[in-house]
Amino acid sequence: MSALTFTLKAAPAQRVDCSPLTSDKLAELSTADIAALTLVIGNQKQRVDELFDISGDDAAELCFENATDKLDHIGHGLASGSITVNGNAGAYLGQFMTGGQITVNGNSGIYTACEMKGGQIKINGNAGDLVGAARVGYKNGMTGGTVIVTGNTGDRTGDHMRRGMILIEGNAGDYCGSRMVSGTIAILGEVGQHLGYAMKRGTLLLTQAPKQGISANFNDCGSHTLAFLPLMIASFKQLDSKFAELEPFARVQRYAGDISGIGMGEVLVKL
Amino acid sequence: MIINGVTIDPTFAEAFPMRGTRVIITAQNLEWAMNSAQAFTGFATSVIACGCEAGIERTLEPHETPDGRPGVSCLIFAMGNKGLAKQVETRAGQCVLTSPTSALFSGLEMDEEGKEIPLGKNLRFFGDGYQISKKINGKRYWRIPVMDGEFLTEENTGVRASVGGGNFLILAESQPQALAACEAAIVEMKKIPNVIMPFPGGVVRSGSKVGSKYKALSASTNDAFCPTLKGQTKSELSPEVESVMEIVIDGLTKEDIDKAMRVGIQAVCDLGAENGIRRISAGNYGGKLGPFHFHLQEIMA
Repeated sequence: MSALTFTLKAAPAQRVDCSPLTSDKLAELSTADIAALTLVIGNQKQRVDELFDISGDDAAELCFENATDKLDHIGHGLASGSITVNGNAGAYLGQFMTGGQITVNGNSGIYTACEMKGGQIKINGNAGDLVGAARVGYKNGMTGGTVIVTGNTGDRTGDHMRRGMILIEGNAGDYCGSRMVSGTIAILGEVGQHLGYAMKRGTLLLTQAPKQGISANFNDCGSHTLAFLPLMIASFKQLDSKFAELEPFARVQRYAGDISGIGMGEVLVKL
Repeated sequence: MIINGVTIDPTFAEAFPMRGTRVIITAQNLEWAMNSAQAFTGFATSVIACGCEAGIERTLEPHETPDGRPGVSCLIFAMGNKGLAKQVETRAGQCVLTSPTSALFSGLEMDEEGKEIPLGKNLRFFGDGYQISKKINGKRYWRIPVMDGEFLTEENTGVRASVGGGNFLILAESQPQALAACEAAIVEMKKIPNVIMPFPGGVVRSGSKVGSKYKALSASTNDAFCPTLKGQTKSELSPEVESVMEIVIDGLTKEDIDKAMRVGIQAVCDLGAENGIRRISAGNYGGKLGPFHFHLQEIMA
């Protein structure tokens, strides 16, 4: 059996909702059934085989080739299996996913891992704004799982994030950890302005101090040796990421905030 | 059966099902991990009055512990999950949370039944709202702010159906000889994993029988093995035996206790008749009370 592969015939002009194409939903379908499924593109519907060349038959292992950033909702509600995207992915990658793995060899759009519940997403590239966030009007962002971004993330990474982990090997944009409820975001690169804006709880772990300093609404709690850090860093060892090479450390400067709110969040900066 | 002049009685030890768990206490150095572990396993010789039986299993090298610091593994047993949970929680709260630089981890995975009891789950409330939870590798941990920094504890620990009350009796010609034999046995038995000998130094001198002449008591001194009563009661002791001591073993499985009893009895027999050891016997209640029977001669066969 080889990976069930969807090769984009031509870059679509309109956005395509790819949510019907996940391992769980295709497992019982024949290739003809899959070809006959309809996808919403812009304000119309098109058959899958009008948009994609279909090859392979193993639905547990999906692959999108020639993907562009118009392909939204890839891995929507994924529960098991793996999806590989060669090219860029659009918005809402891995929304509501509960398990399995998505790998993007390219960039992903906004709302990557939106309200994700479990599993793993790896972006070998950059991710857009609102990684792991909640939809507009919703209170809970990501509630579990791990997101690894080898490049940079856009603004408001982890907005309303509730649990789980976002690991950014590059830089994070402005308002990283905004309105965060809990969970962990670790960043090897730099962070933008307004780090932890309106953050309630949770941890922002930085391996380098922000150039612009810590925001005024975070209070310095001093330098500390925190026992959970070596444990957490050791758990990164199993990841396919630069984080696996991170030398375990426990010494950090701890800043608590956002003190304009409940102020239970923390920014930990490696010393 | 006679080994090196020591008679192995054709009898058996009778043991009971218990629920057990292992916890790992780490600290800045072994001394402080041990301070905490000794407190955690203190006053835990017998479920009759202590509510649990606990002991130190062994010390752990830094590479063996979850956080890479020196540590001590402790086993704790009680009659049921509820009682065990209560003992683990109160002891963790008073003896580990309080101990400088300590951290507390589960030393036992969840079993097939998925049974777990709280370890730091309720200690978190000591954090008065400042506690922070972190889920690492699927396990939840709690970070509780304390005066020396932060107390890190795992949320839950797994429990196992275990065996408590494995035992054997050492019958010797004098008190010092009986104790020396017990000491030799304990040294060997401590090398066996998954078992503890919960009594002080691993040895009991007040073995009990079921029942008493006093209505209020359910157990009383085992007069058949009391050397001073040889002429007063239906004694088990021959004229040469002047002192009897017992070693009680709790373990995670029957096989673990088998192993511990074998090395312990062997160590006693190695001292042999020339060191005043006469007989090895065991305590039972006729086999009606406990489902686990440890036949001495089978173990030593």
